[in-house]
Amino acid sequence: MPEDGLKRRAEEVLGRPLDRVRIITDTTQFMELSRGDVLDLQGKRYLLTGVAYEGRFGLDEEPKHWVKRALDLDDGGQKLIKLVFYEQFDLPIGHLKVRCYRSPRKEARILELVRGRPEFMQGLTFLDTAGNEVRVLDRVPGQSMDRVLDAQRIDHQTYFQTRLKDVLTKFMGCLEAIAFLHAHGERHGDIRRDHIFEHSGHGGWIWIDFDYNFELAESPFGLDLFGLGNVLCYLVGRGIPILQDLKRDRPEVLERLDSGDLSLVIPNRVFNLRKVYPYLPEELNRVLMHFSASAPIFYERVEEMTADLGPALALLP
Amino acid sequence: MILWNRILVGVDEGEASLGAVRYLAAVLGGSNTSKVRLLAVFKPPDPDLEPDPGALETQAAERRLALEARLAEAYHILVEARLAQENVSTDLVETNGRSIGETIMAEQAAGGYGTVVVGRRGMTKAEEFLFGSVSSNVVHQATDCCVWVVA
Repeated sequence: MPEDGLKRRAEEVLGRPLDRVRIITDTTQFMELSRGDVLDLQGKRYLLTGVAYEGRFGLDEEPKHWVKRALDLDDGGQKLIKLVFYEQFDLPIGHLKVRCYRSPRKEARILELVRGRPEFMQGLTFLDTAGNEVRVLDRVPGQSMDRVLDAQRIDHQTYFQTRLKDVLTKFMGCLEAIAFLHAHGERHGDIRRDHIFEHSGHGGWIWIDFDYNFELAESPFGLDLFGLGNVLCYLVGRGIPILQDLKRDRPEVLERLDSGDLSLVIPNRVFNLRKVYPYLPEELNRVLMHFSASAPIFYERVEEMTADLGPALALLP
Repeated sequence: MILWNRILVGVDEGEASLGAVRYLAAVLGGSNTSKVRLLAVFKPPDPDLEPDPGALETQAAERRLALEARLAEAYHILVEARLAQENVSTDLVETNGRSIGETIMAEQAAGGYGTVVVGRRGMTKAEEFLFGSVSSNVVHQATDCCVWVVA
């Protein structure tokens, strides 16, 4: 496409005029790429419209310069483009630390593996002229499921009576999706409640962001299971009760707790939710207790968790 | 055939595995009734975690060297405890996609070892849940042998 035509097409897709367009084929220097640049990736062209921002707790509004918002110049579709950025850092988990690596190659491999599976974000990987694995992701319309749930202004007992069964049914789909990854030797790597998006159209839950990886020789899926336990506790409790909050708001509950009721890994989180919400069924609480400090055995595979959660789900109103 | 006096010892860079070797030396010292194989398991660095192939090779080479040095150290501990040299061997094998515990137990089955000896680092329960443990994996997988876990 000649440059005039390209600028015209970019303006048409964007819906407003641009000062200039610049065609980029090497994305190595991602900090220098900005709004109005057009990435040419193996013949596919994407207009950059801005940078993405961190949505993680406490880091809101931090720009993620290696993630750009973009529009597909063929059909105008909204994309997120993840450029190659290697970093490694110690991720604190409770009192422990684990070395965490950002791996574009891993995410590209998983995108290929989950193509067409609606429980995962979808995208394509292109190589730029420098050999960088650039991931072009379809934007998931909607927001993270925790934002959806937090916006529901109902008390916990009403949530339990009217919503929890639907919520956990959706979560079972998420668990099966992670089991699929594990069966193929892959792990999600960053399982958090804000990494499950609720599609604003059909309401389905969708896993996002697969680029974290760890060197875990003996328990390759341990961190994923830990994350799933946290998400389950959040869903059942519609928030994980924290000791400090209980001390302030519900001191009578605090008196009933002992150290075995707390998270095995993060010991200010209460996992024995039946002591907080006595109407929760024992069968459901038992699943949570596998992640508590008093657990005699842990889940080692997602299938063990779904095998327990399925029957517990059937007992919910 | 599984023979009780064919002993497989897992050795790694950690101090706990040397503790296990010293324990074995104390138990078997001066005896010539057992064959001991010291096994180090090499897990290649994950290419997902290191984009530079040169750095990956360096890491792999360093890891191998550290394991070979540890095998030599373990060998000397047993020989100094008067185990006959012909009854002590060393070996370094790759994980080939398996965990270290799975690799040890695959060697146990393939070699007919009746006794497996591993050290235990004393991980917390939380660490074991998140990161796993070689000694726990070995114990969970053992079906036709005796496992000594030396803590």
